[in-house]
Amino acid sequence: MYSLPVSWICPVNAAGRYGFSALRVVHPGFTCRRSLAMQKYLSNKMAILLFTLPALILFTIVVTYPILLTVQKSFFEWDGLNTPIFTGFENYINLFLDDDFYISLKNSMIFGAIITVYQIGIGTLMAVLISNKKQKGAKIFRSAFFLPVVLSITVVCQLWISIYDGHSGLLNKIFEVLGSSYRQDWLSGFNTSIVAIAFVNAWQFMGYHMIIIFAAMKSIPEHYSEAAAIDGATPTRAFFSIIFPMLQETYKICLIFTITGGIKAFEHIFIMTRGGPGTSSFTLTMLLYKSVINLNKYGYGCASAAILLVECVLVMIIINRFVAREQISY
Amino acid sequence: MILEKVKNKILRILAQIFLLVYLFISIYPILWMVFYSFKNNEEIFVTNPFGFPKEFHFENYVNAVSQYNILNYFKNSVVVTLATIIISIVFALMFSYAAARMRWKLSQAARVYLSLGLFIPVQIIFIPLIILVRDLRLLNTLWSLIVPYAAFNLSMSTLIFYGFYRGIPIEMEESAVIDGASIYRTFLSIILPLMGPSVATVVIFIFLGAWNEFSIALILISKESLKTLPLGLINFQGQFSTDWGAMGAALTIASLPTIIIYLLMSERFEKAITVGAAIKG
Repeated sequence: MYSLPVSWICPVNAAGRYGFSALRVVHPGFTCRRSLAMQKYLSNKMAILLFTLPALILFTIVVTYPILLTVQKSFFEWDGLNTPIFTGFENYINLFLDDDFYISLKNSMIFGAIITVYQIGIGTLMAVLISNKKQKGAKIFRSAFFLPVVLSITVVCQLWISIYDGHSGLLNKIFEVLGSSYRQDWLSGFNTSIVAIAFVNAWQFMGYHMIIIFAAMKSIPEHYSEAAAIDGATPTRAFFSIIFPMLQETYKICLIFTITGGIKAFEHIFIMTRGGPGTSSFTLTMLLYKSVINLNKYGYGCASAAILLVECVLVMIIINRFVAREQISY
Repeated sequence: MILEKVKNKILRILAQIFLLVYLFISIYPILWMVFYSFKNNEEIFVTNPFGFPKEFHFENYVNAVSQYNILNYFKNSVVVTLATIIISIVFALMFSYAAARMRWKLSQAARVYLSLGLFIPVQIIFIPLIILVRDLRLLNTLWSLIVPYAAFNLSMSTLIFYGFYRGIPIEMEESAVIDGASIYRTFLSIILPLMGPSVATVVIFIFLGAWNEFSIALILISKESLKTLPLGLINFQGQFSTDWGAMGAALTIASLPTIIIYLLMSERFEKAITVGAAIKG
């Protein structure tokens, strides 16, 4: 076997050996005269197949094939059992004529708006507050704010059902204690139910965004804020002029999460009101669910799913285009 | 100068207030739930809705466990989550190693292909999933959950592992090759032990996703004995609508494991979240 040190043959690897790992560029196509044994190792066809096929096969069967199937079946009328009947764009036309579709659209926007403002707004505020080194008990706050994220969705929804309860819920009890006679059946109002549900989602996942923003803030080099302090900037000024712009990439990610979250919203709505009262808290996924489970209209459901996919992709493209356009490097 | 100090002091106090107020908003609902799991209906509704339970009604817990299959739901969730973690991680470790190290023409394309899964909302495959599971005869078995969960987690796992693999110096494999080791030997004995921290990160990610997953479980599982925790708990809506104490007990029992795991490993969780977010960016 070759016992020449590899660095003799390959200067790039030599740089790596001496610790200049930044210089080492390991591209799969990089032709460097590595030892023959190494080349054989790296091109071992059997091993490559063995290593990659399980993941690729699983993914294709469960993800790719179903997506193609969804899109295909959206052009058919189908009850899931008998042969599908080709109907062209009929499903989509019906979708655009369906009142529930527009209710869903409206609700997605309301939902998305509420969770965006709440999660990113409060998330940023809390991230800023706990990132202050002089803040006592910052770690406790951090854990406490993140705690709702690890709870099961069902637990959170059931909890908030009891908080929102018309007779004895926590919210109404608080009003009672404060002496007011204001009461609400929070989940039963035609316009308020979606708002109430959106708040539950916002409450549960605020910690998630807070941690993301917090980590991004921590990775901004110290000397920026120090320089700002030396120049006499107040903390608020420093935040808005220096830190905030640097968080743009992070906000882009958070924004994509929240807005697509609004479009996809399903679980909280299903558990808390089943889309009710009536269909006033419907979203697209709820529409999908109802078409398939209650009405056996699989083709129609597929059309809803396809629209959902299009909406999510559009949102991602738009956000990518318009947020964080400049590359900030430091 | 003094004005500065006063302004700073006020800001500090304001900060403290915001933090404490939100601490209350964040934690009190959970506390309230734990409290009322120990109260009887009278105490919850009338006498002592807000505070620490005056008497401890442990029978709420007994009722919750005996009448409502919580332990069974638990078991199902554990099985599904564990299997998902194992399958996803094993497949992802193998795939990412081949993508990161081996030389083959399609490696870039394959990587991008898998990462597309990150952007796909799970909902759009609901319908085909039902059909697929029915055709594969997995309907109403736990595998009908494990397979989709594992597949969806592949995207994130492969991406995270890929990053970590690239950080391992190629000298590791080179010295192994010089010593005559086969690729399988090298992979198992040398590379894998180095991947410890990243595996921990990915485990947490998958755990969070699989344990609390609801939608797919909802449409694929209808047999009572196979329901996972999130799914089984909604049964309590009808049955417990007047017995808040027992419902609170059920919810508390369901939450304890994740809360304890989280409190023990909070740093790991936060690291996992940030890595995940960085990948998606």
